[in-house]
Amino acid sequence: MLNNVGWSLAVEKLLQIEVPERCQYYRVILGELSRIADHFTCNGASAMELGAFTPFLWLLKVRDWVWDILERETGARMTHSFGRIGGMAAPPTASFKDDVRQLIPEVHKVVKETEIMLLRNRIFLDRMQGVGVLTKEQALSYGVTGPVARSTGIPYDVRKDHPYMVYDRFDFDVPIGEDGDNWDRFMVRLEEIRQSVRIIEQAIEQMPDDGPINVDDPRIVYPDKDEVYTTIEATIAHFKLVMEGLRTPKGEVYSFTEGGNGELGFHIVSDGSGTPYRVRVRPPCWYNLAASREMLLGGMIADIIPTFGSVNMIGGECDR
Amino acid sequence: MPKFTLDGREISFDPGETVMEAAWREGIEIPHYCWHPGLSVAANCRMCLVHVESGRQMEMPQLAFDEKKGEYVPTTKPKLQPACQLAAAEDIVVSSTNDEVKTAQASVQEFLLLNHPVDCPICDQAGECKLQDYYYEHQATLKRKLTEPVHKPKGVRFGPTIIYDAERCIMCTRCIRVCDEVAKDHVLDMRERGNKNEIVLAPGRELDHRYTLMTEHVCPVGALTSQDFRFKARVWFLKSGQGVCTGCATGCNTHVDYDPRYGKVYRLRPRDNADVNKYWMCDDGMMTYTRHDTDRLLMPTTGRGDERMPVGEDEALDLAAEKLKAVDASKLAVVLSAQHTTEDNLALAKLAAALGADQLYLAALGGWEGDDILRSDDNNPNRAGATQAAGGVTLKSVDDLLADAQSGAVQGVVALGWASAEQLEELAPLTALDGVVSLTSHVGAFPAVASVAIPVADIFEIDGSFVNDKSMPQAFRPVLAPPTGVDPAWKTISALAGKLGKDLGFQDLQSLRQGLSDAVEAAQ
Repeated sequence: MLNNVGWSLAVEKLLQIEVPERCQYYRVILGELSRIADHFTCNGASAMELGAFTPFLWLLKVRDWVWDILERETGARMTHSFGRIGGMAAPPTASFKDDVRQLIPEVHKVVKETEIMLLRNRIFLDRMQGVGVLTKEQALSYGVTGPVARSTGIPYDVRKDHPYMVYDRFDFDVPIGEDGDNWDRFMVRLEEIRQSVRIIEQAIEQMPDDGPINVDDPRIVYPDKDEVYTTIEATIAHFKLVMEGLRTPKGEVYSFTEGGNGELGFHIVSDGSGTPYRVRVRPPCWYNLAASREMLLGGMIADIIPTFGSVNMIGGECDR
Repeated sequence: MPKFTLDGREISFDPGETVMEAAWREGIEIPHYCWHPGLSVAANCRMCLVHVESGRQMEMPQLAFDEKKGEYVPTTKPKLQPACQLAAAEDIVVSSTNDEVKTAQASVQEFLLLNHPVDCPICDQAGECKLQDYYYEHQATLKRKLTEPVHKPKGVRFGPTIIYDAERCIMCTRCIRVCDEVAKDHVLDMRERGNKNEIVLAPGRELDHRYTLMTEHVCPVGALTSQDFRFKARVWFLKSGQGVCTGCATGCNTHVDYDPRYGKVYRLRPRDNADVNKYWMCDDGMMTYTRHDTDRLLMPTTGRGDERMPVGEDEALDLAAEKLKAVDASKLAVVLSAQHTTEDNLALAKLAAALGADQLYLAALGGWEGDDILRSDDNNPNRAGATQAAGGVTLKSVDDLLADAQSGAVQGVVALGWASAEQLEELAPLTALDGVVSLTSHVGAFPAVASVAIPVADIFEIDGSFVNDKSMPQAFRPVLAPPTGVDPAWKTISALAGKLGKDLGFQDLQSLRQGLSDAVEAAQ
């Protein structure tokens, strides 16, 4: 979901359009839900890899709750292709706000339980604290972003430093660590879950219940199917979008958002036609993975497991 | 040259030119439907309305809604003028993009789509339709009209080549003007008006002149479709190559539209060339593409009548060389082809020279009528080029060849091409000769009487040039790949020469072309 929205925002920047406010809130809430799912999964897996299987299952159930909501909204649990240039594929369901409101206390509860289960566990502490250290300087020189960078004390968060959509309307903190070790990365993610919940709580209250989700321009957004089937204007708009693609002005943009693991950037060069002339993705994990060399050097072989886990590498982002 | 300003850009014009023409020449397209560079001005579609911002403004009264008063009040707006009819004048300032003009373009476009059927999914024009292009560029709003669109006749047969759909028609009258001004045959006209408007045939007539496909070609929408292309392909799958029509000695320039997935040509379209065909082609020329994949010779064959059988490529060349070696060079007839490129003919003429054969003939098609519009009296695209390739040697006719064969002056034949005006029965005397080698892309009379027939590439598959009846050399590029194992004729001739122990002195097209005049080289 964060990727969907990141890409849509990049093309929207090129088109110089802004989606309706309701859609911006919708995107924020779905994105933060995805972030919560990501961080729970990463932290749960970190614990599992150190032998603690119960926390893994305990944390993963939150992901399932989040995915229940995403499934109701988008139709898919994981591979949702829901973002659209100029809006979203569908408006929020009627029960969207209630579903999210019901989820919030459950998330808080599981975060609390995580702390009880792990934060005083000797084995967990020994394997996490002081292991896989990345210094602030190393993080900066590798271009590391996201929770990994923040764990070293760099307070960089795109949502705060370069607010996009409606992030400047929310009151939330950017948690940072000090040592840049596995423990800090774990704790930063845990705190970010709380901050995401804060954002969601505010967004739910501010999000309008009515209004359009998509921009009102058939050159950008597909018209409704029943119009496509019955009116020539919508048929042509649909045809043009499918056959020739969405035409953007000539030029290039770099647009970046805070993904689950850091700065997710899209660089697009357009020649004015319906297909991009060049697209370059800046995936956070490509840089974070490169920096893992510094975390691992001089450590024990067995420490690769928790360290690698806490980098939270996404394979697809490193396949280039 | 005097100049005027269009959208902030200076455009020079010849006195008498319209704003549209001057802009078109500069490569600027002011949106239009009814205007065509090769036709007279109708100014009826109103899509090309522009605003002349300089000089005294003409105001047009209108009613505008006043929010405060809550009613319509009289006011004025600038009067716009059609660019296709507006004579360019020194120093006028024209806008085709200001707000007034944009509103007009959007409104005209919305008006044209008012009763348009939802036909894009089944319309052959979809993908190259001006209604679609201009909707996206100039309208981009959804339908406001809620009533049922006006219905008109669909699938009307205008003639053997053209089907008309009145619902899709925007009444630009381009087809009427093409018939009047290009074909000089007033067979189409318009009846009724408003939303009952419709293109009709002259009473008792069919659309059956020689330029009917041009009506479809100029139709900016899908109202006229060609019987031949209808429902055959979707244009977005087609790619386009540049060709020269093989229909006659005019050598009209063509776009060859083919589907790269199947290696199949689906249609020709005229390619604008002011010196040759302007914007047009005749029906017969447009249909020459069908020759490409009918009756192709794909495998070398040997033997005659019932004993004819396929042989391998190398074997065929060996066999041909063996048969030709048996013939004395002075009794060997070399037949050039007015249907093949200058390069192919040159290679064959070189082979004749290398062998010492000096009896050159020319095979050409006949049975054709020219006119004073585009069609040349000669329906062979390259008679002039073949004559040039012979290099001063007089080319005798196929009739002479038959006489020479019967008199014994000719005992062996190498013939290029399938095309000859003579039928199989007339060529029958050649079957008495053992050494008759035919290099041909298609089956035909010559390959039928040959003792060895070797396939060569067809016109869409080769690099080459034709010399038209105005002595203009025109080059074209390959569009499709030749069938497996089939080469361009010049290459096959070179290979045959190798088997005969001769070197023709060229390895590729470039070195072959050095033997041609500078003009041909310039056309490459």
